[in-house]
Order: sequence, then structure tokens, then C-alpha cells
Amino acid sequence: MDKLKDTLQALIQPLLAIVAGLLVGAIAILLVGGDVLETYREMWKGAFGNFFFLTNTLARATPIILVGLGVALAFRAGFFNMGAEGQMVLGALSAALTALYIPGPGLIKMLAAIIAAIIVAGLWSAFAGWLDSRFGMNLLITTLLLNYIATLFAGYMVAYPFKDRTGSSALSQTQMIDASAMFPKLFQGMTVHLGFVIAIVLALGMHLFMKHTTKGYEIRMMGGNPLFASYGGVNRGKLMIISMFVSGAIAGLAGASEVLGTQYRFLDGSLTAANYAWSGIMATLLANSNPIGTAFAALLLSALQTGGMGMERNTDVPLEISSIIQAVLILFISAKITISFIKRKKAGAKDGSAV
Amino acid sequence: MLLEMDSITKSYGLVTANRNVSFNLRKGEVHALIGENGAGKTTLMRILYGMESPTSGHIKINGQPVVFHDPTDAIKHKIGMVHQHFMLFPAFSIAENIVIGREPKKSMMFDRKKAIEETISISEKYNMPVDPKKKVADCSLGMQQRVEILKVLHQGAEIIILDEPTGVLTPLEVKELLASIKSLAAQGKSFIIISHKLSEIMEVSDRITVLRDGVVTGTVNAGETNEEQLSRMMVGRELVKLERSTLETGKPVIDVSGVSIKGNKAKPLLDRISFQVREGEIVGVAGISGNGQSELLQAISGLMAIDEGTIVIQDQNVTGASVKQIRDSGLAHIPEDRYLWGVSKEATVSDNGIMGHLASTSKRGILNRKAIRTLVSEWVDRFAIKTGSLNTKAQYLSGGNLQKLIVAREIAQQSPFLIAAEPTRGVDVGAMEIIHGELLKRREERAAILLVSSELTEIMKLADRILVMYEGKIVGELDAATATEEQISLLMAGGKAVG
Repeated sequence: MDKLKDTLQALIQPLLAIVAGLLVGAIAILLVGGDVLETYREMWKGAFGNFFFLTNTLARATPIILVGLGVALAFRAGFFNMGAEGQMVLGALSAALTALYIPGPGLIKMLAAIIAAIIVAGLWSAFAGWLDSRFGMNLLITTLLLNYIATLFAGYMVAYPFKDRTGSSALSQTQMIDASAMFPKLFQGMTVHLGFVIAIVLALGMHLFMKHTTKGYEIRMMGGNPLFASYGGVNRGKLMIISMFVSGAIAGLAGASEVLGTQYRFLDGSLTAANYAWSGIMATLLANSNPIGTAFAALLLSALQTGGMGMERNTDVPLEISSIIQAVLILFISAKITISFIKRKKAGAKDGSAV
Repeated sequence: MLLEMDSITKSYGLVTANRNVSFNLRKGEVHALIGENGAGKTTLMRILYGMESPTSGHIKINGQPVVFHDPTDAIKHKIGMVHQHFMLFPAFSIAENIVIGREPKKSMMFDRKKAIEETISISEKYNMPVDPKKKVADCSLGMQQRVEILKVLHQGAEIIILDEPTGVLTPLEVKELLASIKSLAAQGKSFIIISHKLSEIMEVSDRITVLRDGVVTGTVNAGETNEEQLSRMMVGRELVKLERSTLETGKPVIDVSGVSIKGNKAKPLLDRISFQVREGEIVGVAGISGNGQSELLQAISGLMAIDEGTIVIQDQNVTGASVKQIRDSGLAHIPEDRYLWGVSKEATVSDNGIMGHLASTSKRGILNRKAIRTLVSEWVDRFAIKTGSLNTKAQYLSGGNLQKLIVAREIAQQSPFLIAAEPTRGVDVGAMEIIHGELLKRREERAAILLVSSELTEIMKLADRILVMYEGKIVGELDAATATEEQISLLMAGGKAVG
């Protein structure tokens, strides 16, 4: 009974946000002189209209789901990991370089690339956790700033030492990896690849992990009330470093999956320009850090993008409508955070009073 | 009749907080409103003060029906309320706080001189001395309460509602407050007092109305009743008298020696604290809150680092050890602030229950849902914890039920050493009885218990020895069998021990 109510309540707000986003989007469409129903129909078609569009949406959702899951894990523990972008980029770079330079058969290259991405991105993220637990440096700020270091470092690496000098292109990118090390496509001729399966399995796995393991329990308690967790004997510093490692590792996996499954090389700016990391953070916030919810929210955000592209192809309405809808979603998410903050403050004032 | 509340009913959805409650107040009367947590006292007073509107029923003042939409309406009808948590501006002076909302003005400007004069005149009129220029932040809680009452009087209140007025006061301050209430009543002011504390109620009130589950179980004259009868009316059954056997104490379970925490103020937070608690012994720590008790508990349980001294539990030196190590060495801990330390409000009852019990409720890192259910539902039964289910979020439990859950969780550790900090703060008589009984049972089972409480009666009832803390030091140790309340109060206020 309680569970059902909680689930429904958890669903109401994201749904309201989506409805509001679509309404505001409708106003914007009217303002640019478009036909609302027609535009949304084209948007739907662009995202889910046929098998190609559907799998394209799933492919685009893959990195968003993975980043979202990584961030969700840290958020659940109450640690605001804003460094998904840098972690993802370092993961992608490590995966590309490992796949390029490790000798051996394709499968070994692929696995080594994944492991390298996980370790590098995990350590990069855990470093921020360590700075916080050891020196009290605010995690939110360090992770944000570490993004710049990571993306600029990766940019340098592919602009100079590891730049692809074989082709005629002047892009800052690595060489293309061996075809044998690439993620297989799920369907012939479609963009969606093995990474999507990994993402879905991981979402389910994280759901079970959170619910049924002692570590998951400790993470939930730390996120719910850090003082309670410390009082009960959970070591905050240790948990912070561990959960930041895993959180970063999953973001790194997102990067690896993009390299191995979609781009087949590391191209400077390709991950940051697509805003995968920030969409992932949005998905997490929209789903209140619930792993399965995060996967759905990531799918929604991805559909907004791919649908927006379809809409732009077939109507006169510009792609920016998608951004407007996303912006309204963000507004609603921040409103949700504010409301729960106010509620918590109010509840705090009521504590201990006789009723 | 000055005030009549007639058949007040207040429902929130399916929950009825007040059902057909009738309540009245005569001029110059002190009328106490008592009941367990969740009995509907505060709801009734919020209705009277215009903060809630009743689902049905009427309020009459001097025979005239009135409707209050917000507290301003209530204040206009000369009703004033002093909340449990004071509503003062700490950075402002006493005079500024008292005149707030009715500030004297000179043309457009605030007239501070007049404000001070008004404060002096009102404090003299009601014989409640204050220093008008003193900042509220520098006042004791007792003084702050006096300011609250004067503020209400300055607003012209004839009916004054006091919500749990003595919760934060020292015994001496309580005496002064009760005296002030009596003298104000003699001058024609009328009081409604919400309280848990039966002895104070018996001393100060003329009539007592008891609420239980939102219904009035009776209104009695204070002269014609006694505490037992009132408890029965509140709880709805007889309370069992606690039996304390005399026990031979064993070896020391915890040995605290020379523990200091410097802090960043001039005075250390803890100043060379040394004591032991032995097997089968309850040592009470008395003191006004904020004299180092919280720091002492956090130091012992590993939540706060100490600068000097050693702490030994069960012959293991746990100085500087982690919370987990200390718990493993034999500590269980009922924390003083249940919402701050004791639970995660968003988490379920069972999640809150297994903190510290993971070893017995999991296998190789996987939680055993069945073991958890068995464990927690046993506590729910034994402690009569009212909860929808084990999956109900902790925030939906009343304070008393949450406290019972925490006590059950910590007692179930069966640890040789137990810290019980404010184990019954804000819980009702029924829950208090259960918790006290369980603590004494642990004592019988030869556990060592450190009981920290701001309730003197609780300490006197349970403890074998009493330590008194004042400004971070232990200023006295008394044998509970012979100690008197006066002795302890004096030590708590920083006086020297007598006798």
C-alpha cells in the first residue's frame, strides 16, 4: 500500500514536468507559427516512428543512461558528482588508446579498453572524493573543475601525441580502432550496439544492488541522513571514495561504449558537444536517482533530441523547441528540489513539538 | 465564561485529530491541557490561535462567537501564544523583541527610548524583571521565555497559551516560571498550558483537561485529582510501578579518563572528564543541556575527536577508534536527538531498524529480507510501535513511536555498554514506561548504562549514581539513593555541592 503510493508519487512529478514541458513547447511552436499537433507528430515519428528511428534513439540514449547511472549512484549516497563529463571523456580516451595500442585479438582489445576506461575514470572521480574526505574540499566544486582539466587534457592528447596523422583530416582525433574490437551492432544496419544492452543490464543490476546489498544499504542511508549513517558506524570517507570510484567508472564506461560502439575513435569535443554527461545528470535528477527510472528518463531525453531532429527535417519548426522542452524539464526538476528542501526545513521546525 | 470552544472537530483526510472537543476557560484561571503525543492538544491550540480552522464546531469569547482566519485575528481578540520553540530575534535586544509588531514610533522612526520605557513598565507591572537593552542571544532560555511572555502581554493578551513551557528550563527557572504564572493569574490573566509534566501541572493549574486520541477523557479540578488518576486518563490503563532491585555492581565496562576537547572557544568543551560505569549499574549524567553532555557522548561513541585522555571499553583502548570499532567493542547508543542522529526519515522502518544489525541480517553482503522482517517485527510487537507497516517511511511515525524503534534497535544489540541519551524526550507516558522498563531490564542483565537526561526525575528514578556536568566539567558525583533534587539543581546551575 505504502509502496504503491510512494511509487505513484515518485511518478507524478516527472510526468507533470513532461506535460508542462510539452505545453510550453506548444506555446513556443505557436509563436513560430507552427502547427502544434503536426509538430509533435513529426517529433514522435523522429524518435519512434520506424525501426531505424527507434534504434537510433536507443543508441543515443546509451551514453545518457550510463552516465545517469553513475551519477545516480553518487547522488544516492548524497555526493554531488558533477564530474561526469570529465570522467566520461577520460574513459573514452583511455578506451580508444587501449584498443589502439594493446596487441592481441579483438575481444582482448575490447575488454582491455573497457577495463582501462573504468579504472582511469574511476580513479579520476575517486580523486575528487579523496580530496573531499581528506582535506574537506567541496566535492561539487572539485568535480566541476576537474571536468575542465580532463577535457582539455584529452584534447591535448589527441591534438599532439596521439593525433591521427594517417588520413587527410585535420581533426584532433585518434586513429580508428580495429574493427574486431568494436562493439557489435544489435541489428544489421542500425546504430544501436552492445553498449545499450550493457546499460540496461547495469540499470537492473544497480536497482538490485541498492535494494539487496549491505553496501547499497549503506549508500542509501548515507544519502538519507549522513549523521545517522556515521552514528551507525558507516565510514563516510571510505564510502565516499568507493562510491565516487564506481560512479566515475560507470561514466568512464559510457565513454568507452561511445568509442567502441559508435565513433570507433576518440574525437575531441564529440562527447562534450553532444551534452551526454549533462543529459545524464538531468535524467538522474528527473528520476530522483532511481536506476530504472534513470534509464527511462534518459530514453525520454534522447527521444526529445532525435525527435527534434526529425521535426526539424519535416517541418519549419526549429530544433530549439526540443531545448525549450528540456529547459522546462530542468525548471521543474529544480522546483522539485526546492520544494523538498522547503518541506524538509518545515519538518525540521516541527520536530519534537507536541501534537 | 471567558472562552468556550464548543464541539471542535478537526479532520485531516481520514485522520481525526480532534473529535467533538469542548474546552472552556474562566477569567484568571490556569487550565492545563494534557495528553500523550498525538492526542490532539497542539491541534486544538492551533485552532484557537487561528493557525488551523476547525472542520466543525465554534469558538466563543465572552459569549460572542468568533472566527479566526489567522493568528492576527486571535491576537486582536487578546489571545497570545508562547510556542515551544521560541520565536525571538536573537540579534535584537529584549526591548526590541517585546515591542515587535507594536513598535512605538516617533514620526516615521522607531522610538527605541519609548520601547525601553514600555518594556520596563510592563515588566514592573507584572513583576517579571528583564534588562531591556540586553541582546536576546545573550539570555538564558528561562529569560527568553520571560521575554516571550512579556511580548504576549505587551500585545495585550488576556488569554495566554503556553506550549510545553518548561521543556528547556532548569529546575530553578521552572519554579520561577510557575510562580510568575500564578501571580499573573491572580492579576486576572488566564492561561492554557500544554504539558507532559504532571507534577508541574498539579502545582500550577486550577483545572486539567485530558485528551486521548483526539477526544476529551475528562476535565477535573486539580485539587480533586492526583498524578495516578491523570496518567490513567491519558493512557487509558493502569501504569505499572517500576521495580528497581539492588544489584551488586561488577567490573568497570567503560573507563573514561582525563578526556578533554578544546573546541574553538575560550572554555574547553570537555574539561578532563573521568568516570567509570560498572556492570549492572546505571550512571546518570545530569546537567542543563549545552554543558558538554552532547560532546561527551559523541567523544565516547567516536563521532567527535578528543584532544586529551583515554577511553577504554571492555578492556579495549578505543581512544581515536572509528565508530564501527567502538560499536564492535561493545557499545550501543540511543542518541540524544533522534531526528539528527537516530534515523533517516526518508528510509523505511525496517531500513532504520537494521542499522548496526547488518551482521545478523545479511550474508556475504546480501541483505536477508526475511531475517530483517522477523527481527524488526518482533520489536514492533514488543515495544508496541504504531506503524502502518515495516515499509512505512520513518517520517510518518510519531516522535514517540520513532523513539521506541530506536530504543528497540539499540537494546537489541545486547551490548555490555549502553548509552541512553534523552531516552524519553518528547515521548508520552506509555512509551516512557516501556523504555524505562527496558533500561532497567538491561541493568538486571548486567549491562553498564550511561544515562544522560535533562529530566531530573528520570535520572533520579533510574540511576544508581549521578554525575553532574557544568561547563564541560563533572562538578559533582552523588549517590542516587541519598541525593536530593535541590542538591543536583544547585550543582547544575554551577553552585558548589552542599553536604
